[in-house]
Amino acid sequence: MASLAAFRSEFEPGPELEVLPSQCGAQALLAALVREGVDTVFGIPGGANLPIYQHLPDFPIRHILVRHEQGAAHMADGYARASGRVGVCLATSGPGALNLITGLATAHFDSVPVVAITGQVAAPTIGTDAFQESDVIGSCLSVTKHSYQVQHADDLEEIVAEAFHVARTGRPGAVLIDIPKDVQQALVGLKRPLGRHRVHRAPTEPPDRQIAAAAAHLGAARRPVILAGRGVAIAGAEEVLRRLAETVDAPVGTTLLGTGVFPSPHPLGLGLVGFMGTGYCNLAVSECDCLVMVGMRADDRVTCRLDGFAPRAEHIIHINIDPAELGKTVDADCQIVGDAREVLERLCVAVRPQARPEWRRQVDGWRERHPLRHPRNGRLQPQEVLSAYYSRRRRGDITVADVGLNQMWAAMSWTGGEPGIFLNSGGQGTMGFALPAAVGAQAANPDRRVFAVCGEGGLVMTLQELATAVEAQLPVKVLILDNRQLGMVRQFQDDFYGGVRSQVDHLVTPDFSMLARAFGCFGAVVERHDEVGPALDAAIAHPGPAVVDFRIDPEAGIFPIVPLGGALSEFVECPYP
Amino acid sequence: MTLAPPQASGARLISVRVEDRPGVLQRVTNCLSRRGHRLLSCAVGEGSRQGELCLWLRVDTGRQPPAQAALQLAKLIDVVEVADLTEEAPSEWAVGLFDFPDPRAKGLERELERFGAQVVERSAERLLAALSGPPQLLEAARKAFTSMRLRDWVCSRPIALATTGGRHEPITQEEG
Ligand SMILES: Cc1ncc(C[n+]2csc(CCOP(=O)(O)OP(=O)(O)O)c2C)c(N)n1
Repeated sequence: MASLAAFRSEFEPGPELEVLPSQCGAQALLAALVREGVDTVFGIPGGANLPIYQHLPDFPIRHILVRHEQGAAHMADGYARASGRVGVCLATSGPGALNLITGLATAHFDSVPVVAITGQVAAPTIGTDAFQESDVIGSCLSVTKHSYQVQHADDLEEIVAEAFHVARTGRPGAVLIDIPKDVQQALVGLKRPLGRHRVHRAPTEPPDRQIAAAAAHLGAARRPVILAGRGVAIAGAEEVLRRLAETVDAPVGTTLLGTGVFPSPHPLGLGLVGFMGTGYCNLAVSECDCLVMVGMRADDRVTCRLDGFAPRAEHIIHINIDPAELGKTVDADCQIVGDAREVLERLCVAVRPQARPEWRRQVDGWRERHPLRHPRNGRLQPQEVLSAYYSRRRRGDITVADVGLNQMWAAMSWTGGEPGIFLNSGGQGTMGFALPAAVGAQAANPDRRVFAVCGEGGLVMTLQELATAVEAQLPVKVLILDNRQLGMVRQFQDDFYGGVRSQVDHLVTPDFSMLARAFGCFGAVVERHDEVGPALDAAIAHPGPAVVDFRIDPEAGIFPIVPLGGALSEFVECPYP
Repeated sequence: MTLAPPQASGARLISVRVEDRPGVLQRVTNCLSRRGHRLLSCAVGEGSRQGELCLWLRVDTGRQPPAQAALQLAKLIDVVEVADLTEEAPSEWAVGLFDFPDPRAKGLERELERFGAQVVERSAERLLAALSGPPQLLEAARKAFTSMRLRDWVCSRPIALATTGGRHEPITQEEG
């Protein structure tokens, strides 16, 4: 079964490579990475990390040479999301390190374990505005879970161990290790203990009374709804989520990051919730009397206007591993801190099976009255491309969406019959994420097929990583939903900003098929319906990376959509039949 | 985060025990500013545990739920323990230094004695007095001293210990 659980490997330490006193800091670092089970890193060398690159060839680590450090961070992110392991990226000091920031923020906001290792100018020159000096620790404070500037080569072993532990435990996140060049070159002496090893606050086991209260609320409910986020995928709770939903007969919606954690064709599946959620999911949340939110944050894209979010719910049960997420936006009366799988397992035992035919009939009625619709005007619609693509999906295939309309279309059309792998940048909404993240996902899963769904605007932000894909022989397939526009911004301008279309047209877009070929990829352009299937088949059949440019209807938009400032129930549907 | 007058409404008094590591103050203040909280005052001191610092922060959490500041701080890796003392009637204590240009000013000695201030330095042109106590005492002293031709004064932000919460076991010899 192609669930994230199938990808998730428990942390397996790599071979013990002894740190000998004659080794330098760079060697100690690399040995420590191997010990952490690191098999692949993404990066670019430069002045301040050359000692690491000098010794890299001696270690059993695959280095993938990227074309921009942002690409390295997204690749480490994609690697981590699609494997459950920690992704690692390397950069030199100054601009190299600063180029990582967007990628680190993207990973961190979506709770993805990434460790970034940056070279720093030699310790004695820190603070002198030395060549390529930057305060990367300071610059990354709010986009990392923790960071270290290594002062002594002897500390490296312990810092790396702690950094990986911090990245992968509790609510996962991005961690930065900044290593001055002289520390990389210094000989490792006797191991200097860092002080007492830090034991990070493990999530507490929620008390029985909380589980019992949640079960009682669910038992007493007449109109329960479950919303699930990426925390379900991180915890491997897809199966127990389904069991709970079926036991209590509660429909399940997902957040954008939770796409794929509940099978969409399931009779209880509601699809996406929120700003661009399905009408029936948003209505179900608006009418429910008991809401369970599990492994999700409930940000403004989910809740829309806060007082219009689940206004009829008598009880809201919020389950999250991060206590700070509980009560941050939605004031749940039943707040449970814990791992999604563990809590859902206990909840499954505590609830009694119930059928709620009346509620199901009501939800199914909304499903019929508010189906997902798109125009049929003869022009190529993104939904047609995506349905042709998804119909070719095999179990285990990985889909990585970029940001914009393409992302929402891809998530909305998702038709996984089983929990699948759908990756996207939910928290930051970083354009340019998909291609490098797909490259990282492919590096982690050489035997799976990896597809990136992009808009032409986002793709060109990190397009250079096609060279990386070709060079590293990572055969990702890029599907461009090309509307020659910053489509989502255009729709916002049309819908919410007086219809003034300002700076959204791409009057010049490259010929992506030629561009693909220039990079050494397969390239094709599709303008007609009948070309969609054959082009997809040709791209899939091509042994290397491929780019297919689907020239879609430039006016295609996303529906339903909740007007800015509106409540979930106030969604606007596709005006075309 | 902005520095604002300490009387802002909705302020929380949060005590934070942190590992004494480089950059830890930056992490704490960044965590608050990143979340839109205003740091009204901050005192830093040592606590009973080796290798740790104690911070006392007065924070206006603005539009955020009041619990957010402490919850977010608790997530920092260098933070050992966070306690929101606001509702706990904590004992607060601060220190002030008061600089008088005229040691013979009329009534000065009597006022210093009344507040229990200690003379730290005395010369023909200067009397420096120190006073410690609850913030209200220092505030009252400052007002009274103003009429004694006070030249300058400085006052620390208070440190605090909760009457409940915080540590429960007695401090052992090694720790102390
Ligand atoms: C790095 C970055 N810059 C700007 C934005 C704001 N933004 C969100 S969607 C969007 C348009 C995306 O256009 P395109 O990639 O062509 O995709 P489409 O919406 O047309 O599918 C923009 C500019 C963003 N999310 N990320």
